[in-house]
Amino acid sequence: MNIKVNGKIIEIFSGARVADVLRKYSTITWTQVQKGSKMVFDGCGHEVALDGELSEGAALVVKRVLRKEPRP
Amino acid sequence: MSRAQRQAIGLSLLLPLLLAGLACASLPPAPADTRIIIFHFNDVHGKIDNFAKVASIVERERRGGGDVYLFCAGDNFTGNPVIDQYQPPGEPMLVLLNRLGLDVMTPGNHEFDFGLDNLTRFTAQARFPMLSANIRAPRGVLPKLQPSLVLKTKDGVRIAVFGLIQTEAESGLPSTHPDRVRGLRFSEPLQEAMKFRKLRKGNHVFLALTHLGFDIDRVLAERMPQLDAIIGGHSHTRIDPAEMVNGVLIAQAGSDNRFLGRVELRIRGGRVVEKKGTLIDLKEWREEDPEIKAMIARFNQNPAFERVIAETPFALEGKDALGSLMTDAMRTIHGLDVAFQNEGGIRLRRLDEKITLKDVYTLDPFGNQVVEIAMTAEEIRGLIRDSFGKGNEIDLQVSGLSYTVRTESDLRIKEIDLRAPDGRPLPEGRTYKVGVSSYVASSYNFPHRDPGRALGSTTAEALIRFLESRPDFSIYRGIQRAFQDPPGRNDRY
Repeated sequence: MNIKVNGKIIEIFSGARVADVLRKYSTITWTQVQKGSKMVFDGCGHEVALDGELSEGAALVVKRVLRKEPRP
Repeated sequence: MSRAQRQAIGLSLLLPLLLAGLACASLPPAPADTRIIIFHFNDVHGKIDNFAKVASIVERERRGGGDVYLFCAGDNFTGNPVIDQYQPPGEPMLVLLNRLGLDVMTPGNHEFDFGLDNLTRFTAQARFPMLSANIRAPRGVLPKLQPSLVLKTKDGVRIAVFGLIQTEAESGLPSTHPDRVRGLRFSEPLQEAMKFRKLRKGNHVFLALTHLGFDIDRVLAERMPQLDAIIGGHSHTRIDPAEMVNGVLIAQAGSDNRFLGRVELRIRGGRVVEKKGTLIDLKEWREEDPEIKAMIARFNQNPAFERVIAETPFALEGKDALGSLMTDAMRTIHGLDVAFQNEGGIRLRRLDEKITLKDVYTLDPFGNQVVEIAMTAEEIRGLIRDSFGKGNEIDLQVSGLSYTVRTESDLRIKEIDLRAPDGRPLPEGRTYKVGVSSYVASSYNFPHRDPGRALGSTTAEALIRFLESRPDFSIYRGIQRAFQDPPGRNDRY
């Protein structure tokens, strides 16, 4: 099936999860997501979990998220 | 609100007749102003720990005397070995959902993971109805499954709900192994949904409880503006606040029991005049139901986890023996020609003679799915070439063939020799059903024309089934199927 990640089409096995698609998209991005410096959203801007199931044609957006630091 | 105050009316067999009747019937008068709260969760995948918090939130709202419901949008099973390996499988979920006072559930594709007999047992013992309009089950199978129902509040507000499960375009089946849904018939969910538009008439609130994924829920909302709200699952999407599409509220609560969804509907003059949905972050919630907390603690001490599932005549030691065992499991259980296992995914050096479930999940803890890819011999060489290049040493254990990577003195690959199990060269010019983990399928860079397909179970589950089948363990003494010539620095532990 084809999944779009940041506008790039990734062809991957059917039944792939979000984590599978990200690993195929970019190992660097995958590492950043694992470390929490980037997060994954669907095409409408909602956060999706890494074990989220995908359908043909789904779109994912991976982007850096600024986290609010707790006040000292 | 007590369960006795709620009346659920099943519409399964008499649906067309009832729909015709409802179309003519006048809507019963509704109270002047009613507020309905629907808590919902989805894709819990065996993560039961937060159910004590869920119970406290729902009970607190119920104690307030309002009209409070609890919905589940599917996929309770698979994802936590301690729960998945319970005997019978998934039993803790059934006990906890009953105890939580769940009002209605729609099955997800992972509800079938333990087989149809197990799900039939689950539905028979559930104290809540299961809704799915696009599943047809023969008599005696999934006894409480029905397409839709109407919940009635104590004030007479009628809430019509119908359920839907996702199907794959290719197979027309939910995303699970076809063997697990044999005997059931599935129809395309969006087409099936259109048959339920008439539920709008005769009911004050009209809801879809779906396991379709957010993208498909959006399409449903576009095509079915008669709906007040869609409470969904499958894509593990955290929708906070719930999104309005074509006037339909779409809610989904992420996954793994990290959030509890809360949809609030205000009914005035017989129709929904206000609707909103938010997520409660369970990490931030402190209060827990002590009784449910104690039940969860007991479930987490699953004695089955210590169960010995196989006894071998000698300890299996080293990546060649363990990798051969793991790939034999994948190949045998799924009827494949060849299977590969990356050495980085073999997380033990040794399995002692008495192998427990816990050992299996320590050896293979990642929850990777088995993926089948049709590959030529040349494509198999491409996979081995990529794996060898990761560290200039053997990286893939194998079943169904053996191979030798011949290298130059600088470790550049000169040749990859593939041999069938009888020692002859592997025939070229045909395709092989090759099994790999989802990790290898997605992170190794190798040419293959067939994108492949997940087979609906994990590599660990294949290993458990293989070990329980009592294979001949003697073949693993001194076994080696992957060679490097000249030998490399890999210590082959």
